[in-house]
Amino acid sequence: MSQAARQIQQESNSLHEKEGKYLTFSLAQEDYGLEILKVREIIGMMEITAVPQTPEYVKGVINLRGRVIPVIDLRLKFGLEAAEYGERTCIIVVEVQSEMGPVQMGVVVDSVSEVLNINGDDIEPAPSFGTRLKNQFILGIAKAKGTIKILLDIDRVLTSEEMAGLEILGG
Amino acid sequence: MTDQAPKSQELREGLEGLALKVVMLEEGDLPGLGAFLTHLEKIQATLPADHGPEVALLFQQLEDVGNKLILQEIAPVAQAQELLSQGVSLLLTWARENAFPAESEPWKVYCRGAQELGVVKAEKGVPKSEPEAEAEPEPAAAMESQIWEDPELVANFIAEAREHLEGIESGLVHLEQDPTDLQAINAVFRPFHTVKGVAGFLNLPQIQELSHELESLLDEARSGRLQITAPVIDLILAGVDRLKDMLDDLQEALSDHRPLQRFDLQDIKDTVKQVQHAGAPSAAFEPVESVPPPEETAGADMDQALQELQAQEKAPPPVETPAAEEKAPAPAVAQPPVAQVKEQAKEVKRPPEAPAPASAPEVKAASDAQMPATLKVDIAKVDNLVNLMGELVIAQSQVRQNPHLLTISDPKLERDLAQMSRITTELQMISMSMRMVPIGQTLRKMVRLVRDLARKSKKSVELHLEGEETEIDRNMVETIYDPLVHLVRNAVDHGLEPTKERQALGKSPEGHVWLRAYHKGGNVVIDIEEDGRGLDRDRILAKAQERGLVQPGEQLSPTQIDHLIFEPGFSTAEKITDISGRGVGMDVVRLTIERLQGKIEINSRSQEGTRFTLRLPLTMAIIDGLVVKVGKERYILPAVAVRETLRPAASDYFTVQGQGEIIKVRSQLIPLLRLHRLFRTGNGDMPPTEALVMVVEHEGKQQGLLVDDILGKQEVVIKSLGESFQKIKGLAGGTILGDGRVGLILDLAGIFALGQA
Repeated sequence: MSQAARQIQQESNSLHEKEGKYLTFSLAQEDYGLEILKVREIIGMMEITAVPQTPEYVKGVINLRGRVIPVIDLRLKFGLEAAEYGERTCIIVVEVQSEMGPVQMGVVVDSVSEVLNINGDDIEPAPSFGTRLKNQFILGIAKAKGTIKILLDIDRVLTSEEMAGLEILGG
Repeated sequence: MTDQAPKSQELREGLEGLALKVVMLEEGDLPGLGAFLTHLEKIQATLPADHGPEVALLFQQLEDVGNKLILQEIAPVAQAQELLSQGVSLLLTWARENAFPAESEPWKVYCRGAQELGVVKAEKGVPKSEPEAEAEPEPAAAMESQIWEDPELVANFIAEAREHLEGIESGLVHLEQDPTDLQAINAVFRPFHTVKGVAGFLNLPQIQELSHELESLLDEARSGRLQITAPVIDLILAGVDRLKDMLDDLQEALSDHRPLQRFDLQDIKDTVKQVQHAGAPSAAFEPVESVPPPEETAGADMDQALQELQAQEKAPPPVETPAAEEKAPAPAVAQPPVAQVKEQAKEVKRPPEAPAPASAPEVKAASDAQMPATLKVDIAKVDNLVNLMGELVIAQSQVRQNPHLLTISDPKLERDLAQMSRITTELQMISMSMRMVPIGQTLRKMVRLVRDLARKSKKSVELHLEGEETEIDRNMVETIYDPLVHLVRNAVDHGLEPTKERQALGKSPEGHVWLRAYHKGGNVVIDIEEDGRGLDRDRILAKAQERGLVQPGEQLSPTQIDHLIFEPGFSTAEKITDISGRGVGMDVVRLTIERLQGKIEINSRSQEGTRFTLRLPLTMAIIDGLVVKVGKERYILPAVAVRETLRPAASDYFTVQGQGEIIKVRSQLIPLLRLHRLFRTGNGDMPPTEALVMVVEHEGKQQGLLVDDILGKQEVVIKSLGESFQKIKGLAGGTILGDGRVGLILDLAGIFALGQA
């Protein structure tokens, strides 16, 4: 097997590992998917307490049954245009892995669509967009129902260097 | 052989039950003794026929000792109980290994003990008490398998043994000052005895062996054959350290399921022998009639003293049975009379009074109050309960503030709501108090520290502990330990002058260090005070200027100068010792205290001494906060830091170069910080005359914070904002306000730093 062929084989293996159930949601006319195992709950929009000295995409903190969790606006996070929060705006509470263990966070999305079962065969690796767009948050792109769903690696979206950036701003 | 197995199983269980009864025996515990004897008889009836002569002898002797204890024919009760537990543990070994350990050290110890008590009837097979060559210790592997059988029991033992060792340490330090204090000797002797007994029961031979050595050394001191001298104290302290190492090892072994380390005890044992042989003749030893109560050990000793008192009530009065006392020949050891026990707690020094018969019921009451039944609960459960109680209080206030509910005017509803709020508040108080523990244990740890430090720096230091019973959140106890160590170290090493210097100044040659704990204004306050030379402000200032912490010509108040020592890397010690003076520490102290939402204050007078005051909230979970409105956000300020609130008149407001803002409060100029600008919310340019200024104080500095309004004062439950927001300056955490939204709690240290930037 040539080097290139082996790499493709490996990629398709890892893509097959990504098959499973995804919660899909929309964000500025784009469809995204989140691994269902990461999702804790979906709550309606509620009042968010702003936290000073944080990046714009950090909306603040909310009270989730007695726990204080941070909330992040995914539109702002991905550099999309900000939108008014409406009836369908939701907060998806996800549990992400950080160095200190699992952490719950809320992400604001335009609306939640459905839970989809996505086949490994339908997942393709994230294409490279060159320098215009970083694809490090993307697990892969899934073809489903005649459209595409961008599968997010939510651990990466909400932790690591991204949060480190938050700390630098704060500190 | 086939029916041997269940039989021996039954026997072992029986013996284990017996061992438990022995461990639980207390002095004068007649029902306990009765149960012990009944149990013993029952086991005897099921004995296999082929038991050896030693076993028969043991059973006979145990029964004999038990009977004599009931009839009070044996004077040294503790020793007799010890013999019982030794005997039972021998039987256990026999049942386990199916062979009697006739050659083992425990058996010889037992026989010697039995002889001393006079329960030995000439029997064959009993080795004479001539010291023989060291017997081979039992094979380690066989014993260790026992440890894991009941890990919980072992864990409890570790915790208890550590407490005992701490008690021993402080007792020893006291003993060093007053080597003839028999009560103090007893107070050190007893915990060793307990540790030894339980270690034997749990089959921890090395711990048992070492505590036995130390106990026997103290026993000699008790009976006046050995004089307590500094080398003896050092030896025992070395032994205590070794025991601590063993306990650490045991704990690790327990959690990792690995075998125990073997410790080399030979050096200590040799020294013990040396000391025992070189021991001073008892002629030099004269028990003192009026012994001052051993204040440092008061807490640890209390239970035992009270137990003895209880026992004494049942037993004949001590006046008639001087022989009933332990082997010690001194009348001074007579059970501490009521008045004295009480005074031990209050630290009033007064010679013991004769026990008045009228005071007997009082003892009962006191002991009932002091020793309520307790229940050990996993701390995680209590933490959870406290958290949930916080939630309940919030949920309740959410219900009460529900706008729909507010429109209903129903007196019954009002009453019910009021009732509910009363109950929840009370529940919260109770659950909170469950997590409170007396601070004494932490303070007593300092006793040993001060002694060692004094030794090292060749100063003579007296440590005074006050308010050991003051309660503090258990979660806080561990956190304040390090700061306390730092402060005590500094007090001894920097604060106190060398003896000669003190004498030259006309001070008492020995330095004094006070550790005081008390409750004040909803806070736990801990003072660390010494009567040393006081802070040298000139030198601190010079150093700060050298480090660039203070600009030349900058005017600082004395308090501000004092607080400079909390700057990172600040140290004025001329010589660096290995005790302190490396410039680390004080900033850590300050950080730790602030993390606990506490405050630290310094009070220093030249040549008179320095006092550090730690002011900590009662619990870490809740603070008293002022809810303020800034723009559309609400923030919580720790109420303890707020000095006053005012609406400045236009004539009291000044700007400096159009940028800096200052307000005049009475004759004082205070810099103004606009929270609106800091937090980018609301109108950052509003005239201060239309807003409120909260004057807050932090480390001697004052600052005015501009806010829109004060919404109220309330207790808030502190919640972590999570790691992502950990490093944001100016925020200490979040809380859930009455309407269910999150409010942010401000951290003044951070706010001040931001104000400077």
